[in-house]
Amino acid sequence: MSPGAITYQALFYLFAAGIVFSGLRVITARNPVHSALFLVLALVNAAILWVQMGAEFLGIILVLVYVGAVMVMFLFVVMMLDINAATMRKGMTRYAPLGLIISGLIAAEIGWALWGHYLGIANTPHTAVAPAGISNTEELGRALYTHYIYVFEIAAVILLLGIISAIVLTLRWRPNTRRQDINQQLRVHKTSDHMRLVDLRDNSRGRKES
Amino acid sequence: MIGLYHYLGLGAVVFAVAVAGMFINRKNMILLLMCVELMLLAVNINFIAFSRFSGNISGQVFVFFILTVAAAEAAVGLAILVVLFRNRNSINVSEINHLKG
Amino acid sequence: MMSLTATDYIAALPQIFLLGMVCVLLMFAVFVKNGRDEVLHYGSLGTLAALAIITGELLRGHSIIAFNGMLIQDAMGDVLMLFAYAITAAIFVYARGYLKDRNLLSGEFYILTLLALLGAMIVIQGYNLITLYMGIELMALSLYTLVALSREDSRASEAAMKFFILGAISSGTLLFGMSLIYGLTGTLNIGILGAKLAATPAPGLGVWIGLGFVVVSMAFELGAVPFHMWVPDVYEGAPSGMAIFVGSVPKLAGFAFFMRLLAEGLGDLHGGWLWLLTALAVGSLFIGAVVAIAQTNIKRMLAYSTINHAGFILLGILAGTAEGYRAAMFYVIAYVIMFAGAFGIIMLLSRAGFDVEKIEDLRGLNERSPWFAFVMLMIMFSMAGAPPFLGFFAKVEVIKAVLDINMTWLAVFSVVMAVIAAFYYLRIVRLMYFDRADPDAPGIIATPDFKLLLSVNGLVLLGLGIFPGGLLALCKAVIGF
Repeated sequence: MSPGAITYQALFYLFAAGIVFSGLRVITARNPVHSALFLVLALVNAAILWVQMGAEFLGIILVLVYVGAVMVMFLFVVMMLDINAATMRKGMTRYAPLGLIISGLIAAEIGWALWGHYLGIANTPHTAVAPAGISNTEELGRALYTHYIYVFEIAAVILLLGIISAIVLTLRWRPNTRRQDINQQLRVHKTSDHMRLVDLRDNSRGRKES
Repeated sequence: MIGLYHYLGLGAVVFAVAVAGMFINRKNMILLLMCVELMLLAVNINFIAFSRFSGNISGQVFVFFILTVAAAEAAVGLAILVVLFRNRNSINVSEINHLKG
Repeated sequence: MMSLTATDYIAALPQIFLLGMVCVLLMFAVFVKNGRDEVLHYGSLGTLAALAIITGELLRGHSIIAFNGMLIQDAMGDVLMLFAYAITAAIFVYARGYLKDRNLLSGEFYILTLLALLGAMIVIQGYNLITLYMGIELMALSLYTLVALSREDSRASEAAMKFFILGAISSGTLLFGMSLIYGLTGTLNIGILGAKLAATPAPGLGVWIGLGFVVVSMAFELGAVPFHMWVPDVYEGAPSGMAIFVGSVPKLAGFAFFMRLLAEGLGDLHGGWLWLLTALAVGSLFIGAVVAIAQTNIKRMLAYSTINHAGFILLGILAGTAEGYRAAMFYVIAYVIMFAGAFGIIMLLSRAGFDVEKIEDLRGLNERSPWFAFVMLMIMFSMAGAPPFLGFFAKVEVIKAVLDINMTWLAVFSVVMAVIAAFYYLRIVRLMYFDRADPDAPGIIATPDFKLLLSVNGLVLLGLGIFPGGLLALCKAVIGF
């Protein structure tokens, strides 16, 4: 085996172990903030594996968009809601055996299919996805904007829906919140509107002396 | 040599971890959402591996759309969570379980 | 490099038009203050009417596959979309007064409902695994928001959260199954998938595992076991004006989803999904019939009735024959008409500050309004499957399809479950006709268009029940394989 192949193998096992370990920590950590941070770790490890497989664009997107925006939003909500981590975990072991049995079954089933090579597909060594001279990003872009243009438009609608939903569910107009009203600011005409003179009595002397 | 089956095995293990997490944390909404994210990660690993090993770009395109939808989904899910928290001051299912029958 | 032609855009014209109108109405809802409700209401109804004209014009015998195989325009999809428009329009009329009384009639209600309809149309016309997934998500995300729209109501937000979690889990498992099917067949296109599987005599184990994941998670779309838990919570927790949409139009899309993915794409694996669907159908029929008896809340009772009906729809699909698919399509159309009517009655009897929740709230309806008690009677008889109403023929067709594939035990089981379910429908009829009304129950106040539409809704069940030939012929004409 060439040194390059050994390095490839070692890196795969390193980062695969990283994903599985941090995945396990996500579901067992006592504090939701830790869970979110371990999820970030799992995503970063996965991004490295994706780059290793030649999906550079998606690897970068995973870190930039997923870790950078979605997970930050998760952390933000976890901290904003200020969840009591101790009561959260009460009774968590009740369903654990059932969960372990079901997930063990899933892993065993797929593992059995993989081990016995029953999938009906060759475990072929990786071949280059892109034709020579075309980067992964360019190839993905060409597919997105030609073949998949219709789905690309649907994705735009889904993002619009995401904006509408988030705003309509969480925006509240409370009467005593101070906010900037640009319309009102622009409506100012008279000089007297700009500045208001307040008569302040000088009551600082007493404090200075004390 | 690292082949397709290694990546699929990894995807299956991560998927199983996510499913186990859903049972363990079935009371905590925010952890359920994180388990869903973990599940989608397993799916994406599968898609990219298949795309890579069959030389077919459409799997990567699917991953691109899954990431887009998952971002919108997380936004909507967290918005619902915030609304629920404002109403109930808790996201613990056992405390908020008023719908029964 | 492929290029798009006018045919592509014509096939997608209903979707493009609806999206354009959603954007126009959204701008209107944001920037116009005076007379906003009227314009949005009639604008939405006008949009639906225009959509019906467009789809009706496009309705042809042959099908067009557009946008490089992402989308298909065929007669089955067009007919399902026409019913989706009609039901959505009826919901706008039913829900208007109800939501107005509760201060929920905002622009967002119309926008989100129309976006959910767009998602349903994308699923109905989807011809690629990506398109189907995106349509499902667009529809589902709109529905989660609709359910949570009543922000001060903690029951609504709790229902939305449960709905969301189950939906997210089901789409995760759906994608896992899709990834295996994609990887082992090398295609995402439904047509190519079908052709490839037909050419493979014995597909690998992985395809079967993928099929299992896909079929189980598809149950969420119809509200069938094992993803049925959201149905009672959403019907009870969400305002009736939102729940009526959640329970009706998405079912048309759910049926189309089963048709596209299972019948057209994975038709050659029928031997496998036959048993999976049998398990789902048996579970849904049983839970829908037995748990419903214990319910005192009418909306939860209707939810279990939905689960029961989902079992019947699955019976038609699992037969895997053209007759079975036609029967399932007939059933799903009959179901949405009955369901919209039932929730229409609930909203008719609700008024500002009071929601019909308990079954007892229908007590003595015959004294208060003989005509609407009769409409409700028609709906309940139709749901129970009593002749000569529409629901009777729907059940007969589905059971015939099951008998055709020699699954007599399943047919017998479904008849037994239908008889058990008939008990709780008839209990409502008994309450309406043989119990005294609450003496201080107020009269029924509703706008004339509401009353007219609800009457038509009930009479359609009787009319199509006496003359089922037209709808049957329609289902026969559009499912031709």
